[in-house]
Amino acid sequence: MKQRITYLVEDPDSFTPEQLEVKDGSLSLRGLKAVQEHRITFSLDELPTELRTTLKQWQELHIKWASLKPYTAIPPFTSRVSPGLHVSFTPHKSQPKGQLCDLLHTVFDPAAKCSSGTDADEVATPLIHADEDGNEKPSASLQYYSYLPTLNKLASFIEETLCPPSSTTCIEYATSLLEASYLDIDYSAPAPILTLTALSTPPPAGWTTILTSPHSIHTTEVGVLTHEPNPDPEDLAFAGFLTVLGPSAAPKPTRFQAPARHYPLSASPGLSYTARFTHPTGLHPTLEVSFDGKLEPPAESCALYTYLTLPSYLFIDKYQFADPLFLSAQNLVALQRVSGATDLEAPDWVVPQWGSAALFELAVPPPPEEDAKDKAAGGNWTSRIPLHLRYLPASPRSHTPVPVPWPVVFWGCAAEQDSAGNPFDRVNLGYDGAFGAGTRFMHVPPEASGNGTGELVSWIDVPVLDTSAAGWVETGTIGVVVCAFVGLCWVLFSDRGKQEIKAEKKKQ
Amino acid sequence: MALSAFFDSSRAVFSAAILLRAVFLVYGLFQDAYSPMKYTDIDYFVFTDAARFIAQGQSPYDRDTYRYTPLLAWLIYPTTWPGFWFSFGKILFAVGDIITGWMMFCILRSYHTMSQERALRYASIWLLNPMVATISTRGSSEGLLGVFVTALLWAVLAKRIVLSGFLLGFAVHFKIYPFIYAASIVWWLDDDRINRRGTSKSTTTVSFAEQIISFLNVQRLVLAACSLITFMGLNVVMYLAYGWPFLDHSYFYHMIRIDHRHNFSPYNTLLYLNSSPRTNVNASAQPSLELERLAFLPQLLLSAVFIPLVLSKKDLPSTMLAQTFAFVAFNKVCTSQYFLWYMMFLPYYLPESTLLRSRSVGVSALILWVLGQVFWLQQGFQLEFNGHSTFVPGLWASGILFFVVNVGILGIIIRDVQSKDALTGEQNATPVKKKA
Repeated sequence: MKQRITYLVEDPDSFTPEQLEVKDGSLSLRGLKAVQEHRITFSLDELPTELRTTLKQWQELHIKWASLKPYTAIPPFTSRVSPGLHVSFTPHKSQPKGQLCDLLHTVFDPAAKCSSGTDADEVATPLIHADEDGNEKPSASLQYYSYLPTLNKLASFIEETLCPPSSTTCIEYATSLLEASYLDIDYSAPAPILTLTALSTPPPAGWTTILTSPHSIHTTEVGVLTHEPNPDPEDLAFAGFLTVLGPSAAPKPTRFQAPARHYPLSASPGLSYTARFTHPTGLHPTLEVSFDGKLEPPAESCALYTYLTLPSYLFIDKYQFADPLFLSAQNLVALQRVSGATDLEAPDWVVPQWGSAALFELAVPPPPEEDAKDKAAGGNWTSRIPLHLRYLPASPRSHTPVPVPWPVVFWGCAAEQDSAGNPFDRVNLGYDGAFGAGTRFMHVPPEASGNGTGELVSWIDVPVLDTSAAGWVETGTIGVVVCAFVGLCWVLFSDRGKQEIKAEKKKQ
Repeated sequence: MALSAFFDSSRAVFSAAILLRAVFLVYGLFQDAYSPMKYTDIDYFVFTDAARFIAQGQSPYDRDTYRYTPLLAWLIYPTTWPGFWFSFGKILFAVGDIITGWMMFCILRSYHTMSQERALRYASIWLLNPMVATISTRGSSEGLLGVFVTALLWAVLAKRIVLSGFLLGFAVHFKIYPFIYAASIVWWLDDDRINRRGTSKSTTTVSFAEQIISFLNVQRLVLAACSLITFMGLNVVMYLAYGWPFLDHSYFYHMIRIDHRHNFSPYNTLLYLNSSPRTNVNASAQPSLELERLAFLPQLLLSAVFIPLVLSKKDLPSTMLAQTFAFVAFNKVCTSQYFLWYMMFLPYYLPESTLLRSRSVGVSALILWVLGQVFWLQQGFQLEFNGHSTFVPGLWASGILFFVVNVGILGIIIRDVQSKDALTGEQNATPVKKKA
């Protein structure tokens, strides 16, 4: 077991080496305003037997969880996923029925929509990936998503099941996950290692703590880095100190640069997006993705995308997006990919899958005329994506609120070089597999105030059949139908018709 | 006077019917080209996508929600050709409308012994009906069914038994529900009908065996054989070509479907309620009797047994109207396209009907029928677009109300047909002539 803790200083000018002190093999930090990435790596034999056997079912297992709270991303941690729990995985060929649901219910959320016992293939859906002739094959093949606001269950699972009884460091670590902006759990059979990577933004006064290396951990490496501008536009460069904790600990100055897959959007500072539904939402809500700020491609090869993670109660009618007139009226270019539960008729309770994922290319405003450049700079731009709701189970209330995580929005650009070799590289995000290897992602950050309550989620009140008012529906319906049937039979078989005919004949 | 001169000329009526559809068709092209709101029906995109799959050597069932016979996709194969050919299907459906109207005109002339002007007036219920023209020019295939069903009626009235059997088998293959007509046609095809009346009428006492033997006359056997051979033959060919998905989407889907999305059916709210999983909160509620599973009983008893048995010998076309009306009203799913199924029989029934003879009954029936839909549509709009939970009582009540209105109208239709003299179905214009 080893751990790597990296601090990326938010504002390089505010950083002084005096904030760090190495003493007795430990490192103390004083008011360090930096984003923290904490990565723990386990080899398989360091894990409890039960967890080990569970993990061995998969060829690949990648869990990405992101918080509802907006956070400021600084390089190299600019990649994003929609808030909630994303799982992408590849089962072993010999064991196609993984116990994914058991794992998710035990570790993350007992209420997650995932019916254990059924085939994992039914719950999970194929991950979108580049065409057959695309350059890259995704390492994971299936995906699953569940709306998960907190990691409470995971934290208590770690405390109760994984931590040695007396280890306060372990319990502190578990608790710290509750504050994380995102958490990645990656396992890959060929390696065979399990890594937990958590990203946390600093407390208001910065990090003030003493980092020690517990006995159970072989090596603890701490890096305090600043992001440096550099001449190569496809690289990210860093400088700072690396310290390996232990008896001979000493901060070593370092400076390095590496190509990056996810790159900051430095060309349009201040640009952000907001996702909301137009009201009233009805049964066909329209998701509006609005941009505040200058929306301009950072390079010629770039196109703007949004990647939607839609729980099963929402779906996309892909046939709607075939008409160019319709697309341009919504400020869309195309529905690039859609995968998952896209049945156009089924109610939510008969859909076994978690939902569906969709990748849209968005239209961008036409480049402003030379003389009008200033005017257009702060303009607003909105793309609209029409969605549809499935019927939800009848309930004792008239509406059932459902959460919809905000989509992620990014520029996808052609890149010259491969991003291999970046120590902070993040893959298996759901959408990255849809692009070839030579792609650079530049993420547009979500609006910092979120939906108004500081969360990156929009709620829809779905009208449902109110069972508290429907007590007489069954008797009423059956009663009316039976009466109608009996009445019609009476009209059919009574003699009145014949009598009338007879009466008419008598008149003659 | 000008109006009666118009209806005097079949050329004028048919030109107007064609012009009406041409105008709608061209208007549709413009709306499709310049507005993101499409004139073309969503189903038309389903058909044309399916035709495209066929053209690429694939199965039409590769298109989601294609629930029809592959024949439909083959019929509109030319829509896969470039340019204007995309509208071929709509033109085909519109031409089908006109042919249906022409056959109606012929049936009214020959079998209802109407004057040309009167026959044209009643055929115009179909030919000049904007709803019919809209549905076919928007590219819905329901109108195409009119051709087959009206041709079936004509063939039966003309005693072309083999052709009738073929058309019946084909229509059932195409849309399932026309199987209800088998009962009325079979019952109608008795020996008296075939040998003209009066020959065997004197027989009073016949044994049960004799009754059976006399029931199984040549016409009935030929009709049954021809329709079965056609129906099964088409199914076998389609199954060999497209396999399980053909059976699954064209037939089984319609058997097991529970349409949860709101529609005109009186059962709709109940189906939603009882198919929805019980949550913990209402688990204590009384378990449902699940009587909705028996919904097919009143529907089929009325439309395929009682109505044909009691009415078909009196007036076949009106019986078919009553059957269709009962089938649609008691169905578990009902959308406005289904109304077209019975509209194609109105021209035969209306001339002698209470609905036309008594202005007050006719007008109130029409107003109630329209109001029922308006009330339902208003509730549906509140749900669908404003997100109000109008399932109960609004949508449920309006569905029930519309059902009751339909049942009332059906009662009038049944009474009207019943009061006709048996075996005078072809001459039931007599009472009106008397009045005139």
